[in-house]
Amino acid sequence: MRALVTGANGFLGRHVVAALLGRGIEVRAMVRPAARLEALGWPPSVEVFRADLRTSHQLTRAFEGVDVLLHLAAVVSGGEDAQFAGTVVGTERLLDAMAASACRRLVLCSTFSVYDYSSTRRTLDEDSPLHKVPDVYARDGYTIAKWWQERVTRRFAAQHGWDLTILRPGFIWGRDHGYLAALGQKLGRHHLVIGPLTRIPMTHVENCADVFAAAAADPRARGQTLNVVDGPGERIWRYLSDYMRCSGQPGWRLPIPYWLAIATVRLAFATVFRRATKVPSILIPRRFESRLKPLRFENRKLRETLGWTPPLDYEQCLARTYGPAAPAAGR
Amino acid sequence: MKAALIGAGQIARQHLACLKTLPGVELAAVCDLSPATAEAVAERYGVPAWFTSHLAMLEKVRPDVVHVTTPPTSHFRLAMDSFDAGAHVIVEKPATSTFDELQALAQRAQEAGRHLIEDHNYVFNRAPQEILRRIKSGEFGAVTHVEVLICLDILGPNGFADPNSPHPALTLAGGAIADFLPHLASLAHLFVGSYRAAQTVWTKRKPSPLPFDEFRGLVEGERGTAALGFSASSQPDAFWLRVYGERMQAAANLFETRLTFDGPRNVPKPLRPFFSGLEEGKTIRRAALTTLLRKFKGPGAYEGLWELLARTYPALADGAALPVTANDVLEVNRMVEALKPREQP
Repeated sequence: MRALVTGANGFLGRHVVAALLGRGIEVRAMVRPAARLEALGWPPSVEVFRADLRTSHQLTRAFEGVDVLLHLAAVVSGGEDAQFAGTVVGTERLLDAMAASACRRLVLCSTFSVYDYSSTRRTLDEDSPLHKVPDVYARDGYTIAKWWQERVTRRFAAQHGWDLTILRPGFIWGRDHGYLAALGQKLGRHHLVIGPLTRIPMTHVENCADVFAAAAADPRARGQTLNVVDGPGERIWRYLSDYMRCSGQPGWRLPIPYWLAIATVRLAFATVFRRATKVPSILIPRRFESRLKPLRFENRKLRETLGWTPPLDYEQCLARTYGPAAPAAGR
Repeated sequence: MKAALIGAGQIARQHLACLKTLPGVELAAVCDLSPATAEAVAERYGVPAWFTSHLAMLEKVRPDVVHVTTPPTSHFRLAMDSFDAGAHVIVEKPATSTFDELQALAQRAQEAGRHLIEDHNYVFNRAPQEILRRIKSGEFGAVTHVEVLICLDILGPNGFADPNSPHPALTLAGGAIADFLPHLASLAHLFVGSYRAAQTVWTKRKPSPLPFDEFRGLVEGERGTAALGFSASSQPDAFWLRVYGERMQAAANLFETRLTFDGPRNVPKPLRPFFSGLEEGKTIRRAALTTLLRKFKGPGAYEGLWELLARTYPALADGAALPVTANDVLEVNRMVEALKPREQP
């Protein structure tokens, strides 16, 4: 079995490559033309395919002999238009190329950001409401681009009869990615901890990568949409405490009840910022909710569909994130 | 009037947001090669139709005005097709890749009885318009010289200097800086008139995919001189406009709202710098606040584009004089042509 992985040298991608290799799956790793790969330590069996989804005219060649596409590439920096062009238009071009190939199996990396947190009550799962038009366009550039990426991919899959699996990870954490937007608001070295007892929908990057490799190989994943979290998640106060201790970053933590924070943001928005066009995300109630709303998160469907349990527990994940670095690739 | 737009990328957002606010303008269709981009923009701005073929859009929608907001090398063909479909064309700068193409486009517009309007947006920002008002009132005195210098970091990995995906502007003579020459030339043309002669210096300070990252030009205009420049290395980002008149001088940063004047005062001559300094400080403090507030609301530094469109549509509807005339477009681009480097490095 051969897998094509886009965004293969990214934070998640490099771990997905390792997880696929660990399952004996051949990997063709798509990376951008200027990407530096030396530090990844990939074995020679990893076939590197250099292309930029925004402009490359060689994408069809990438699918030669490929059984499954794992599409992880997305633009997560730059302005809203740059993210849309890189993530959505790039996906259109990639899937156009796939349509001209024999590959019929696709695993897409989506995100919790496609869910409409504002309309969700108590538990967020795969049946929770997604953003709708036109409200989605009031969200941040990342959310708009990922929501559209999923929309485009579902359309292609329906049109061509592909086997599609959509995986929606929560906050992915790991080495050099320990700080999460769910932790509240940083003020220099200090932290406003909004809703300190809220649980974080989190998945360690190695656990998350294991789900992608499992979904690529397991026929039970076909046609499924699965949220990817390691479990109910750690509470913000505990994870932030571990983060500060393990990363050696001193600072104060000021706990603020969620209800007080969201009430303040709503009041400020209603009175001052409603007509403003460029306001920091945390001051817009719906964006505030998508980062910090206290909900329950679970991975029941993932466990039931794939029989998956996270290979690493929380303490092991902490050690992998903040302890001595492990070998670069392979398991 | 029925408006349509081709090229739903970054700058299109400003055009569409403005068009939604203009009375008497029906935003009828958008077009982009990417179906998702076209559909997303149509949903976002409540546009009833979207297309991936501009010819299909022109035939089906029959717009009165077409906005061309694609990368510059495609402007010529799209504008030609729009004239053939009987539409006026508002085109992003630079209107064409070469002056020959522009002349052909202007000729076609004239034959079709339509207008070609290039987006000289910074001309219509509040600061240049206020300076122009004082010139017209006689308060400023005749302009002797204008300086326009854009300091902008375009060497970052996500823009013009993206090592993975060559930016379309890099195919223009002068590379990424050519994308800014119409801004420099349109302001020079506004204050000192048509170009007569020019000297330029094109250099490269830092390694990057860009052929040049620094430009200086000295232009002799029909009413005065202009010193024009672009620096990718000088920081912070700024868009300096300085206009020198026989009675007054003005300085503005068009990325902000800062605009100061210095001129005659009813005080003893030795005290003039003191009172000028006090007033300038007060003006800059006020501008600091308005610049901050502008970040929260409205088009920001694109205010000139909104003003240009707000003046253009009524003029097109009434057959009145346009804020950017065919002659303006030709003369600005004649200056742009003279500023381009003779050869790529």
